[in-house]
Formats: sequence, structure tokens, C-alpha cells
Amino acid sequence: MTTTDTGPLPATRRPPRSAPAVHSPKAARALTRPQRRAGWLLLAPGLAHMTLFVAVPMLLALGFSFFEYDFLQAPRWVGLDNYRTLLHDDRFHTALWNTTLYTVVIVPVGMALALAIALGLDQKIKARAFFRTAYYLPHMTATVAVAVVWLWLLDPNAGALNNFLALFGVARVNWLGSTTWALPAIMALGIWQGLGTKMVIYLAALQTVPAELKEAARLDGANRWQVFRNVTWPAIASGNLFVLITSVIFSFQVFEQVYVMTRGGPINSTLVLTYDIYLNAFTRLKFGYACAEAVVFLLIIGLVTLAVMRINRGARDA
Amino acid sequence: MRNTTMSTARLPRALLYAVLTLGAAVMLVPFAWMVLTALKPAAELGKGTWLPERVRWGNFADAFSAAPFDVYFRNSLLMSVSQTLITVVFASAAGYALARTPIRGRGLFFGLTVGMIMVPVYVILIPRFLIVRSIPFFGGNDWLGQGGTGWLDSWWALIVPGALAPLYIFLARQFYVDLPDELADAARIDGLSEIGIWARVMTPLIKPAVITIAVFQFQSSWNDFLWPLLVTRTDEMRPIQLGLAVFSHADIEVQWNYLMAGTALATLPMIALFLVAQRYFVEGMASAGLKG
Repeated sequence: MTTTDTGPLPATRRPPRSAPAVHSPKAARALTRPQRRAGWLLLAPGLAHMTLFVAVPMLLALGFSFFEYDFLQAPRWVGLDNYRTLLHDDRFHTALWNTTLYTVVIVPVGMALALAIALGLDQKIKARAFFRTAYYLPHMTATVAVAVVWLWLLDPNAGALNNFLALFGVARVNWLGSTTWALPAIMALGIWQGLGTKMVIYLAALQTVPAELKEAARLDGANRWQVFRNVTWPAIASGNLFVLITSVIFSFQVFEQVYVMTRGGPINSTLVLTYDIYLNAFTRLKFGYACAEAVVFLLIIGLVTLAVMRINRGARDA
Repeated sequence: MRNTTMSTARLPRALLYAVLTLGAAVMLVPFAWMVLTALKPAAELGKGTWLPERVRWGNFADAFSAAPFDVYFRNSLLMSVSQTLITVVFASAAGYALARTPIRGRGLFFGLTVGMIMVPVYVILIPRFLIVRSIPFFGGNDWLGQGGTGWLDSWWALIVPGALAPLYIFLARQFYVDLPDELADAARIDGLSEIGIWARVMTPLIKPAVITIAVFQFQSSWNDFLWPLLVTRTDEMRPIQLGLAVFSHADIEVQWNYLMAGTALATLPMIALFLVAQRYFVEGMASAGLKG
């Protein structure tokens, strides 16, 4: 978030806080006392909320991961057992595999499509506002709502997709009831819904590409692809990195589509990590185990994010 | 001020429009399918045709008797509005404190806030649920938070835990940091209290930021699903997204025309919000991406 909206304020750093005309630090502290008191008063609710509903749960998740806790009996210390069980848990392996597959497919495909659309919309074209709204609309809408619509769109008997394909003589497919097609269908929804935000960020990044540079490159005889490769692409690097990291993080957290459309089925073909955590915690009541799974989930997200940043830095230095 | 490509041939231009239009159609088709289904009589649902032969506006009214969509809608509205109000007040307060007051350890608190942004909701979900269940003196709990259901299935659980997020505190702080000191000093000399300076001098100056935060929080509240799924038990407390999911998994055969009518209603407030506040949506997203 930048400060572009704050109006005509100087972009330079503000001067150091105007010191009171007294030289003893004690007196200075006395003068700022009302400010400090107000500061604590203003910070308190936010800090309390963050502590109670983010920081403490975070620590508790870590703590519970060493316990067996089923809600009914008191938590029982089991050390690293939950983690050991996870290593050999086929459901967990399936969920991890599906989540990875989902991410590995939808992130690059989504990014490429979004960049292509952004490049298209960056031209001088009419109805840009309409296009932007159309592409952004799915992102506005709740994932549950669009998943419900897709459920109906993919209905094997009366769904729009099968009827459309029937025009070309394609046999009806039970998209969400097939182990082959259920995960791709959920991927398609993910790509479709995520396109808008990625496109908006790319559009903003494209605004920062210096026009003179593009012009100069073209005068030097560079073709479209060369201009893109040598001028545009390097200039949008930071936007690209942001899209990449947020996409990976969001993809790993796919949940609502699965909950509404397939509930992890058929035969675990769409079981993803978040849904498995949810099942372990709230239907199997294995709270401690689910917490261990959540901790592993957090570690994976953290490691992947770090790796992406490291690779990106390496690529830039090379 | 964008440079036009010097020798744009006619064909690529037409192709560009064709591709963009096709893409836009793909984005909009599910919404069209939703609205058209919402207008069909039940007998036409199995045919798989696009346009309803007979438009049935009554589906919208009938959907309300098939499921308590009016209650869901009211719950969502109450939840979203209160969460947005709480976020706007407390995130800007905390952001201001972190940006502009000389409290000790604000660097540490700021670091913590940034760290907390990264925590995925799925990681803290289970303990958060346990905390909410263990709030003392609520829902039959004793002072140790045991024995009852705490905040579960109440407005408290629905509103409070999701009413503020570290992200919004962080965003607010980023905007306060750049304001000049002289304004606060002048107000101080005029005798305005420190809280007054926050509320009446500094916050009005970052109005676009406050609106951005409000819009983002409203959207995330309205679209929230998992948390309400965990903490509500009765239709009386369910917000609309949860209502849709429940209705689409009903044991009886799903009445798609009613479900699509309900979904269309659930979608409308977000479309309206987007049309009113799209500047803030788009700029907010875009600038987040550029500054990283």
C-alpha cells in the first residue's frame, strides 16, 4: 500500500520530531507524557485483539501439536508422536500431493493468463473499464458463492458445460464425480477466480514501465517480443514477485471450493491440506493431530515463500 | 501518455479485442448461468437450456421460504457492518499509536504486527475456536472458562474474533507515518487532546486509506465462510455464505433455481460495493503489489 492517496504531501521524510526547548531528558519525557498515555490507550484494543486471537492461538497451535486432545478428555502429552504419525499418514500424503499439484498448476497458468490480459488492457483500447470489471468480478464474489454456481455449471445432467460440449458431440462427463476431472475442475475455478487480482497488479506494474525506453528499443529495431523481454519484463519484476508469492500462499490455502464442490472426494482425489486439517479437527476431533498438521502446513508455506524469494534474488543477481 | 505502437496493423487490433472479449465472456458466463437459472421454473431446470422459456421472478420470493435467506442476509449484514466499524476505529487507533506516539517498544509491536500478517487462518483456527469456547462467564462457562459453550453460536463469536486483523493495523500505520508533525503540534498548541488530534486532525487526512481498509474488511466479512461454519449451530446465526453451502448440501434434492436466486442475492452487495468503491479496490490491490 502506498501513500498515493494521501494528497499533496511532501514525499520527503518528515523532519525529526520537534524537540521541546528543554534540555533535560526527564523534562522532555514529562512533556510527552500525554502523548505516550494516548498512544497506549489507542494501541491497547488492537494489541489485545491481536494477542488473544492471533498470537496466543499461534502459540497454542504449536503447543497442542505435542498433545493428544479429543475435546472430551484432558490433553495428554505425546511428544513428537503426532508428527511421526503424519509422516506415515496416507491421507496427509494425498492432501499434500493434491495441494502441491493444485499450486504448481494454477500459479503459473494464472500468472501467464493475467499478464497476457494486463498487456492487452494496457494498450489503447475502448471499454477498458468494462473489461477490468469483468475480469475482477469473480474475485469480488465469495468463493462459496462462485463454487455453488460452478457446482451447477458442472452438473453432469443439466449443467451448462456438458450441454455446451454436447454441441460438439462430446459425451457427458461427471466432472466432480470423476477422480480424473474433479481436481482439474477445482483448478479451473481457482484460475478463473484469481485472475482479477493478478491482472490488476500487473496493470499497475505495467504503468511503471518507462515509455521512452520502449520507444528507444523499438527505434533500435527491436520487435515486440524483444521489447517485452528486455524492457517490460525486467521493469515489472517486483510486481511479478508479489503476484508469485501471494498466489502461492493463497493456492496453498484452497478450501471453500473443495468444501462446497467435492468434500475432498471422489476417493480423496481433491483432498487438500486445509480440508484435511478441518476434518481432523472438527469431524474426527483429533485436535492435537490437526494442530501438528497445521504447524507443518505453516512450515511448508514459510519454506516455499523463502525459496521463491531466494530463487528470485539469485535470478536477479545472475 | 502511453505510447501507441507505431505501426499497429488492423488485424492484431481486431484480434486483441476478440481475445479480450472471449476472456471477458468466460469470466461472466457463470454469472449469466446463475441469473438465468434463478429465473427458470423448476420444470425447465433439467432441460439444460440457457434462456428460460418462461421467466419466473417469483423464484426470488420463493427462495426465502425454501431457506431462511432473509435471516442469513440480515446476519451477514450485521456481521459485516459491525466488523467494519470495529476495524476502522481500532485499526486506525493502533496504526496511529504505532506510527506517531512516543510509546516505548513500538518498534517491537510493529514487528509483531508484520509477523502476524503472515499467519494463515488455518493455523490458528483450532486454538481460536477453543479460546472462543472458553470465554469465562459466557454460555454457561465458569470463571475458568469451563463447563459451557462460551461464545459459540452467539454474535460475540461471529463478530469479535474476525473484527480486526494485523493487516489493517499495518496498513493504517503506513499512511499515518507520512503525515507532517507540524499539524499535530499546531493542534496541541490550540489545546486539542491527544485523542482529539488522532480523531479530528490526523485521521481525516488519511481518509482514502480508511475507506480502503473499510472496503477490504467489508468484503472479507461478507465473504467469510469457515469461521461462521465453526462457531454457529443454528439458522438463526448463520450468515449468507454458510446458508448457501448448507442449502446446496441439503439432504433433499437441491432446488437449483432457488439456490441460484439465493446466490445472486449473496453476490449483489459485493457488486454494488465494487461499483461504488472500485477506485479503492483497484488502487489498494495495485499499490499493495507495487510496494510489496
